[in-house]
Amino acid sequence: MARFTIKGLLAHKLRFALTALAVMLGVAFMSGTMVLTDTISRTFDNLFADVNRGTDAYVRSRQSLSSGFGGPARRQRGRVPASLVPEIQSVDGAEAAQGNLGFYAQLVDKKGDAIGSPGQGAPTFGFNWVPNPKLEPYRIQPGGHPPQEPDDVVIDAASAKDAGFKVGDQVDILTQAPPHRYQIVGIAKFGDADSAAGSTAALFTTPTAQVITGAGDQFNSISVVAKGGVSQETLKTRITKKLNDKTYQVLTGAEITKENQTDIQNALSFFNIAMVIFALIALFVGSFIIFNTFSIVVAQRVREMALLRAIGASGRQVMGSVLTEAVLVGLFASLVGLGAGIVLSNALKALINAFGFDIPAGGTVVSAQTVIVALLVGSGVTILSAIVPARKASRVPPVAAMRDVATEGRPHSWRRVLIGFGITGLGVLSLFAGLFGSAGIQFVGLGALIVFIGVFVLGPVIARPLSDAIGWPAARLRGITGTLARDNAMRNPRRTSATAAALMIGVALVGFITIFAASTKRSIDVQVDRAFKADYVISTGGFGGGGFGGFSPMLADDVAKLPQVGASSPLRFNEAEFDGSQKFFTALQPQSANDLFDLKVEDGRVADLGQPATLAVSRAVADDHNWRIGSRVPVGFPNGTTDLTVRMIYGSGTKEGLSDYAISIATYNEHYTNQLDQQEYVKLAPGVSPAEGRRALDRVLKAYPNAELQDRTEFKAAQAAQINQLLGLIYALLFLAVVIALIGIANTLALSIYERTRELGLLRAVGMSRRQLRSTVRWESVIIALLGTFLGLAIGLFFGWAVVEALKDEGITEFAPPGGQLLLVVIIGGIAGVIAAIGPARRAAKLDVLRAVTHE
Amino acid sequence: MTSAVAAQPAAGTVAVRAEEVTKIYGTGDTAVRALNNVTVEFAAAHYTAIMGPSGSGKSTLLHCLAGLDRVTAGRVVIGDIDITASSEKELTIVRRDKIGFVFQSYNLIPTLNAIENITLPLSLAGRKPDKSWLDRVISTVGLADRLTHRPSELSGGQQQRVAVARALASRPQVIFADEPTGNLDSKASAEILGFMRQAVDELRQTIVMVTHDPVAAGYSDRAVFLADGQIVAEMQNPTADTVIERQKDLGE
Repeated sequence: MARFTIKGLLAHKLRFALTALAVMLGVAFMSGTMVLTDTISRTFDNLFADVNRGTDAYVRSRQSLSSGFGGPARRQRGRVPASLVPEIQSVDGAEAAQGNLGFYAQLVDKKGDAIGSPGQGAPTFGFNWVPNPKLEPYRIQPGGHPPQEPDDVVIDAASAKDAGFKVGDQVDILTQAPPHRYQIVGIAKFGDADSAAGSTAALFTTPTAQVITGAGDQFNSISVVAKGGVSQETLKTRITKKLNDKTYQVLTGAEITKENQTDIQNALSFFNIAMVIFALIALFVGSFIIFNTFSIVVAQRVREMALLRAIGASGRQVMGSVLTEAVLVGLFASLVGLGAGIVLSNALKALINAFGFDIPAGGTVVSAQTVIVALLVGSGVTILSAIVPARKASRVPPVAAMRDVATEGRPHSWRRVLIGFGITGLGVLSLFAGLFGSAGIQFVGLGALIVFIGVFVLGPVIARPLSDAIGWPAARLRGITGTLARDNAMRNPRRTSATAAALMIGVALVGFITIFAASTKRSIDVQVDRAFKADYVISTGGFGGGGFGGFSPMLADDVAKLPQVGASSPLRFNEAEFDGSQKFFTALQPQSANDLFDLKVEDGRVADLGQPATLAVSRAVADDHNWRIGSRVPVGFPNGTTDLTVRMIYGSGTKEGLSDYAISIATYNEHYTNQLDQQEYVKLAPGVSPAEGRRALDRVLKAYPNAELQDRTEFKAAQAAQINQLLGLIYALLFLAVVIALIGIANTLALSIYERTRELGLLRAVGMSRRQLRSTVRWESVIIALLGTFLGLAIGLFFGWAVVEALKDEGITEFAPPGGQLLLVVIIGGIAGVIAAIGPARRAAKLDVLRAVTHE
Repeated sequence: MTSAVAAQPAAGTVAVRAEEVTKIYGTGDTAVRALNNVTVEFAAAHYTAIMGPSGSGKSTLLHCLAGLDRVTAGRVVIGDIDITASSEKELTIVRRDKIGFVFQSYNLIPTLNAIENITLPLSLAGRKPDKSWLDRVISTVGLADRLTHRPSELSGGQQQRVAVARALASRPQVIFADEPTGNLDSKASAEILGFMRQAVDELRQTIVMVTHDPVAAGYSDRAVFLADGQIVAEMQNPTADTVIERQKDLGE
């Protein structure tokens, strides 16, 4: 039996290759993703191992606020006093102790542009230079020396190469302090590398770093080197005992390394999960194709299988033969896919970089886990998809060998309709439970999956009338070739719908994300128009909110001094624990907030926020917590929990495009070490023309190359551009699912054409030209593709609507399906059908007429 | 009568001519000479049966005459077109416009109904059918009440009638029929053969039919006998009995 299976496979190489290709692409994408994330993880693991190589103990403030959002290591905490350094140094077994400061520092190149991609790329760090080589991972290259004077700086070799800086050059550096020009006294490498995973570095003297950060006589942390023979654990115990203060936390070098690595792992896990989801989507789409291919093949081989049964093979053996084929296809495809995935990982990295998300990655890491998961998932999906067709094969009666092959699908049954609607309904329920209930995001994904399966079950019922409708224009316009194409698409609704289902999934996701993005953009537009009274926004570009980077508060001061400016306020976004739950808030300038934002103050006064230890909350939040003016709210900051008093309640919360919590910049400064402004809102003084205002602002901004001046329209466009950038990446990742679906269409057409050899021969015999035959195949393909596209769009519209509805409270208030773009999706769907038909159409046209009409 | 009939070639002109046609399958030791220097003419408005035992080359001859197969040597002329010199594209158009086909089975496109099948070659050519001609053809084969049926809803005999009607619909120079009754019972066979006879007599069509059935040959004007790739005998106005006699003489 096994030999029979293998011979069968070899006899149908093309079918084998196309089926395998669907699995292969999915597996390649998945293993590529895994290889890439492993590689990135390894790169960071090595990086932190290098950074902490000489560190045996690490002391910092215990109090911290971890962040649920944002880039790597967004764990904010308070500082430790510099006086701890000599104290720790005096601990028995400590060889050296050094205070560390790390902060935002943006290098400006000679043309006056920021180096790197501010707001999106790798972070731009500033550090204090640590004289102890065991604790300083940067190595100054020959010809330079460590910073000694207040204006001295050492920069990383990558930035120096990038901008053409040499020792002796001057460089502008933007930090939390006013912009300042420094003297480059050294170029440093990070170990052997030009930079630490793509980040830029500016190394200052410790006093300069303390001035920049406003840390005064404090450090972010203290690193300690042990004397020879003293273990990290011993040193940690001794330091803990000596300090004897619960405010401080002492870690071993190994612990801080592990923590850094775990932090970055967690920060990357979102990315990992997202990528794996796209890979699973591709495999899910692939499974439809495998199912379909095996179903068609079983149908076409009914006689052969019946003959096997007639000469004594059991149903189980026939089923086994089909499943063996699935195992062989699955294993082969997984192996090739794995190999391709390793190559693909580099392409994926390039893709992500191309969309502006700069990620560092060293040598390719292929873990055993990747290999095992790729093989298991690839083979598993193939076998699972082949089970139903295999069972069908086992039920072929021996007598079928004497009968003509019946390939026409049975007409739909009410049972199918009921089951289909049941499954779809279940999916919708799960989706809603996840979106509107508290079931969690997993239920959204699960619901979407079940909806797809439900529509797939319904497919054969709706495929015939839909194909009829979709094919109508083709039949009208293209005459007999169009009619034949439509009839062919309709003749086996089960096959047509299974083929279209693969494309349906891809299109549904594309449609959903398109609608969601458009709705988000529209919501932002509406909110900007409604809630923003400012004329201009100054921001760092990129994903500014909550991200790393910003500009010195000096910019706000400079702007406020301009006579052309009527009102202005910096804006900072961050997280804190309000009454025990972590929320985003906004910090602003209370005096001018009312002139810049349509706050809709309901109770209290904005100006009252100027008093210490105060906050403002939105009406929605106040109602939820039953807070009134004067209520005291415990707020957890990185440096501890403080009670703030509610001084204002306003109408424009998150839903209206602002924020549910607001405090003053002054209050913010008391609790966070990072005191960069992320945005600056400006309203011009009465009578100042936009041109005049812009000129004045541009003059100020010359000193801040990382700041971007935008009026409302530009601001909206910039927000839209950010969404589009993300959208582009998602499209690119979904592209694979669409390609797999196209392979599915091509595969089905090829098998159908094989099945219709006689019929095609007859058509050619009675005078159908090759061109007409190709056209018929092409139109059939287009009809199938459009069927998938329309079903997908319908599902996408529903998903889009549901998600937008669910996110109303998060500020996505407008449901705005973009007609033009969705029409474009339909057109692309049709073109996709044309592309899928190229191969099969050519094969059909090459058919030898005589062999076709005498074909037995 | 009508202009439709007047447009047919006068009796006596040659509809199809094969000149020294040779067809060899394979090469070297395995080469099989299926047709060996065959020269034969088929008169317009005549009904010719090509007969012979299996392996005699009668189907090969039909395929070569109809442009479904390429000859190894020699010429095939349909009307005034040398199809052995035609390109694949030209051949397709010849098949569409000048030739009608009736095969033994699988004659119809299962997704098209009877009338769509009948007008298929015209549709492919993008031409409107000649209404009066079409009506005559349909009434000749007696299908008027079955026109919207799909092939799966028709009996084998009805399907072959549709096939004959399709072959007639474009008023071709010649109709090639390959064992058109091979899959039918005797009653349905008689009907089909009768229609074909009528097509020649009343519609002035030209039919070349391959058959091994003496009864079928009995409907024709002339029988041509093939053996081992060569024409070995000919008979005018054959009947089933005279054909059987001749077959005996030929040692079949």
